[in-house]
Amino acid sequence: MKLDSKIPEGPLAEKWDKHRFKLKLVNPANKRKYNIIVVGTGLAGASAAASLAELGYHVKNFCIQDSPRRAHSIAAQGGINAAKNYPNDGDSIWRLFYDTIKGGDYRSREANVYRLAQVSNNIIDQGVAQGIPFAREYGGLLDNRSFGGAQVSRTFYARGQTGQQLLLGAYSSLMRQVAKKQVQLITRTEMLDLILVDGKAVGITTRNLITGEIATHMADAVVIATGGYGNVYYLSTNAKNSNATAAWRCYKRGAAFANPCFTQIHPTCIPFSGDYQSKLTLMSESLRNDGRVWVPKKRGDDRAPNDIPEDERDYYLESRYPSFGNLVPRDVASRNAKDVVDDGRGVGPSKVAVYLDFADSINRLGENVIREKYGNLFDMYERIIDENPYKTPMMIYPAVHYTMGGLWVDYNLMSNIPGLFVLGEANFSDHGANRLGASALMQGLADGYFVIPYTIGDYLATNKATKVPSSHHAIEESVALVHDKMDKLLYIKGEKTSTEFHRELGKIMWEYVGMARDEAGLNKALEEIPKLRDEFWQNVRVSSDKNLMNKDLEFTGRIADFLELGELMARDALERNESCGGHFRLESQTDEGEAKRKDDEYAFVSAWEYKGEGKKPALHKEKLVFDNVELTQRSYK
Amino acid sequence: MPALPTSLWSSVARKALMALTGLALIGFLAVHLLGNLILLTGNADAFNLYSNIYASMGSFLYVIEAGLVAFFLIHIVSGVTVALGKMKARPVSYEKTANAGGPSRKTISSTTMIYTGIIVLAFLVFHVTTLKYGAHYETTIHGEKMRDLHKLIIENFAQPGIVVTYVLTMLLLGFHLRHGFWSAFQSLGALQPRLSGLIYTIGVLIAIILAVGFLFIPLWIFLTA
Amino acid sequence: MADMTLTLKIWRQKDRKSPGKFVTYTVENVSEHMSFLEMMDVLNEQLIKKGEDVVEFDNDCREGICGMCSLVINGRPHGQEHGTATCQLHMRKFKDGDIIVVEPWRAAAFPVLKDLAVDRTAFDRIMAAGGYTSINVGGAQDANAIPIAKRASDEAMDAASCIGCGACVAACPNASASLFVAAKISQLALLPQGQIERRRRAANMVAQMDKEGFGDCSNHAECEAVCPKEISITHIARMKREYFKAMALGE
Ligand SMILES: Cc1cc2nc3c(=O)[nH]c(=O)nc-3n(C[C@H](O)[C@H](O)[C@H](O)COP(=O)(O)OP(=O)(O)OC[C@H]3O[C@@H](n4cnc5c(N)ncnc54)[C@H](O)[C@@H]3O)c2cc1C
Ligand code: HEM
Ligand code: SF4
Ligand code: FES
Repeated sequence: MKLDSKIPEGPLAEKWDKHRFKLKLVNPANKRKYNIIVVGTGLAGASAAASLAELGYHVKNFCIQDSPRRAHSIAAQGGINAAKNYPNDGDSIWRLFYDTIKGGDYRSREANVYRLAQVSNNIIDQGVAQGIPFAREYGGLLDNRSFGGAQVSRTFYARGQTGQQLLLGAYSSLMRQVAKKQVQLITRTEMLDLILVDGKAVGITTRNLITGEIATHMADAVVIATGGYGNVYYLSTNAKNSNATAAWRCYKRGAAFANPCFTQIHPTCIPFSGDYQSKLTLMSESLRNDGRVWVPKKRGDDRAPNDIPEDERDYYLESRYPSFGNLVPRDVASRNAKDVVDDGRGVGPSKVAVYLDFADSINRLGENVIREKYGNLFDMYERIIDENPYKTPMMIYPAVHYTMGGLWVDYNLMSNIPGLFVLGEANFSDHGANRLGASALMQGLADGYFVIPYTIGDYLATNKATKVPSSHHAIEESVALVHDKMDKLLYIKGEKTSTEFHRELGKIMWEYVGMARDEAGLNKALEEIPKLRDEFWQNVRVSSDKNLMNKDLEFTGRIADFLELGELMARDALERNESCGGHFRLESQTDEGEAKRKDDEYAFVSAWEYKGEGKKPALHKEKLVFDNVELTQRSYK
Repeated sequence: MPALPTSLWSSVARKALMALTGLALIGFLAVHLLGNLILLTGNADAFNLYSNIYASMGSFLYVIEAGLVAFFLIHIVSGVTVALGKMKARPVSYEKTANAGGPSRKTISSTTMIYTGIIVLAFLVFHVTTLKYGAHYETTIHGEKMRDLHKLIIENFAQPGIVVTYVLTMLLLGFHLRHGFWSAFQSLGALQPRLSGLIYTIGVLIAIILAVGFLFIPLWIFLTA
Repeated sequence: MADMTLTLKIWRQKDRKSPGKFVTYTVENVSEHMSFLEMMDVLNEQLIKKGEDVVEFDNDCREGICGMCSLVINGRPHGQEHGTATCQLHMRKFKDGDIIVVEPWRAAAFPVLKDLAVDRTAFDRIMAAGGYTSINVGGAQDANAIPIAKRASDEAMDAASCIGCGACVAACPNASASLFVAAKISQLALLPQGQIERRRRAANMVAQMDKEGFGDCSNHAECEAVCPKEISITHIARMKREYFKAMALGE
């Protein structure tokens, strides 16, 4: 497998400009002759489908839900970064670039991240023009807040519903193109396979989730924007329908999977409450702007939080990291929460939580200001936990939230399979080993609005469309594969539900491939996951009808894929014997217990190649070159 | 440039027509009630003189009447359309329904508009046939011959059946207006959240005044006869 | 609190065309901390093990923002809690021994797909009729070029927070979609970016709404009462004003 990152030559700041000039263009009149498949309608998918359609391409856009507007991007709360420097606090494209590279613990490409910072400003402009009601000051100009991992205020937000507003903006542009018949929207449809002809991506095989009908769709290029795979852990902040299936099918068709072990555990989520629990709810990181994190100094302190006097509280983030305090990056905040809980100082009924306290801010700013900023989050907390966070400190605990890993792509966002592009959380490109808050929305939209419209043209211009007959063996083989898998699942009629398997997988993943990993644990995971997978294929029971709406069948198919992906994640984590960002190997720590990178050995992207059923995948390394930033030990002290 | 696809019969405009005609009818009722109050003085001549003002308008009366009928027709046709449309829009009804409470304005009044409306309509037919086209008595006041409507009314309101009919229908009219008045402002887009509560209260007052006013007259005549 | 045992009367319907009926189920060991949908998950796990078809119900984010969940619970869309979507409704709001009737959204414009899942694509078609500003990527001016009064922007945000769940339609005695449609028209009418097309948008979106077969608005305001985002009918009033302007002034 050849991994050519296609990073353009030249000084960092000029790379994207020059590259755009070099990219081949498709003549406007010819654009309508090209068909493009976009799978996913999240920020990445919807923005890509809309922009490509605006250019004149014919787009088919797929999603699992009933409407594009429901993609999981809708749930992002906190905000979106841009280097506008409106607050005049010293922000710049360079600083956003630097913060993102550093936040990612130097495991991403300089050129990609720089481009991301460059186009970040255009995203905000685009959003405002779409009518997104971003928060404003009384003077009528846009307001900013600060987020973890940055010392400037560069985060734009729309109450606690930024992802919703950005997605509705992209969705509205998309629906405009649907009205113009430039986009054919195909909802409640799941991509179950990628079709390759002559090594190029030329189509997908799908299942209609209402009728169960299996169909194939052909195009000149396929764009995957299917989101992240955090649901491998069963419990995560992802939506129930978030899954890895589309990406995993591409992997099995030859696309490299990069950095699968890089997962982000978000520090501020509502703690776990019982086995029936189906998901974890995120409390936006922006809360850390005004909330102070603490636990009792004493182990096993059972007093109510408000009865614990000031001097018996340990504001551990503030004391350990004086300069960033409660705003340290996510991985650091999460690991520290785990440390204090492991130390026996956790709070709440389960003792697996820490406090996030707003008393000081409420005293300083007044309850109304806090309500204005976070009202909906506080309400949500109260609905779930049944406690009033204006009065009692919130309880929070880390939860799986985001996957930095994903399908490998080059600078053009094309995978190693020609014609297969990957955008948004589904690719691995910009966040290295840890994503900074408010950067995923930025990346998804950058990919869709401002990168793919240029780069896909270059591919199309140089790859003349070939008409593939519908009887082509690649199509027949793909359809048969999809049918086989489903029939097999239905045939087993075992004793356990797929959710039970999923829960067990989640426990293995959280235990051994979670916030802290070591060789023994990872080896254990590599033993247990295949065992669980074997049992799954012998003992799962699926609700029966494949020609009707059948969510159980859908989910079971996705869990089957998670059972394979989980193993790859453990393998990747084992292979990378260093700590970096969200990947913390107990074997590799500094004296102060912080993540210790080993740049000499591991400054690379791991890209895994599928080698066939039951065979070990092959590891390829894309070396990361840093010409512009100095690799330092991250310090937020 | 192509015209916008707006229509007087769109869901929004239709409700505006209802609201305008409804408010106009309320205006008519108010005037009607004021005139009727003369009956409470017991002065037959005064009342007959008052009603003769209309009778002597000649063809202008036809214009007014035609306008009134047109308003009713528009109101009725659009009301029936709403009611039928509702059945079409929800062909299968719920097993269990409950009011959501809170800011909801759903009441027995709001959900029975079509029924209270139809009953009022039926009543109107009865009202007009028994009075306007009822027995034609004559009287002479200040040397002028005119219709003695007062006599007919007193006759009518001596019958308990008729009085009960009036009283009940006027109560229903009150229900119609309790939701109707406020609703008309909302249909016309004239409501701000600030005003909403106030207008609703005014609507309730108007409903009470009109209903009680109209039902009090026959009752009073019956009881004092 | 001890765990609860509940009786569920659930609408079952095989597909769009088949007739449906209510089926009664018992769910035991329901914890008060469960969400309503987690309770439904427990039921479905039981059904799978018994070899029966699972009860189909739409859901995704389970945090009240995607608008995918629905369910009319004891006669109220999204259940009895104000400002709360079904996925955020917790079982602590119910008592041991309760009988709970669970029905799909009922409207001609939202046909049932299976059991409790309905087809809400009518909303997408209404959005396609004009719920956007017609600008292409690339041409936008600087985000701060036009200041917007905080009040206008906040009010636009109130409207924009609609999650497109359709509870307003489900709750409306007429199955009217006015609140959903008004929320979008109002949001864009409040912002300078929406001015250029405001009349055309109001006319087209209302026309599409009517075409989809939703009922008229009788101002019951049930929609506002069940809306998980508590969107006010004042936006419906604004939609009407927008529409009248479109009628009077044309393009
Ligand atoms: C709770 C939460 C809060 C967050 N808050 C923030 C924040 O404040 N700031 C920030 O920057 N980031 C935030 N993030 C991260 C960010 O929201 C996501 O990374 C980003 O939105 C992903 O967008 P996407 O377009 O890549 O994928 P998604 O939005 O997940 O969309 C995936 C799309 O793919 C479709 N799909 C998936 N599989 C298939 C298939 N097999 N066939 C067909 N279609 C398929 C789905 O239907 C969907 O349309 C948050 C994430 C979560 C979970
Ligand atoms: C004097 C008589 C009447 C008066 C003063 C009156 C007044 C009103 C008013 C003010 C409204 C509110 C309009 C709106 O919601 O925009 C209304 C609604 C209504 N009226 Fe009347 N009305 C009268 C007679 C009738 C009659 C005869 C009918 C016969 C069918 C009728 C049927 C309705 C219906 C169905 C509504 C409700 C419309 C809806 O639900 O949207 N009304 N009326
Ligand atoms: S207006 Fe409220 S109830 Fe209606 S679709 Fe939007 S969020 Fe749901
Ligand atoms: S499941 Fe997303 S709003 Fe309820």
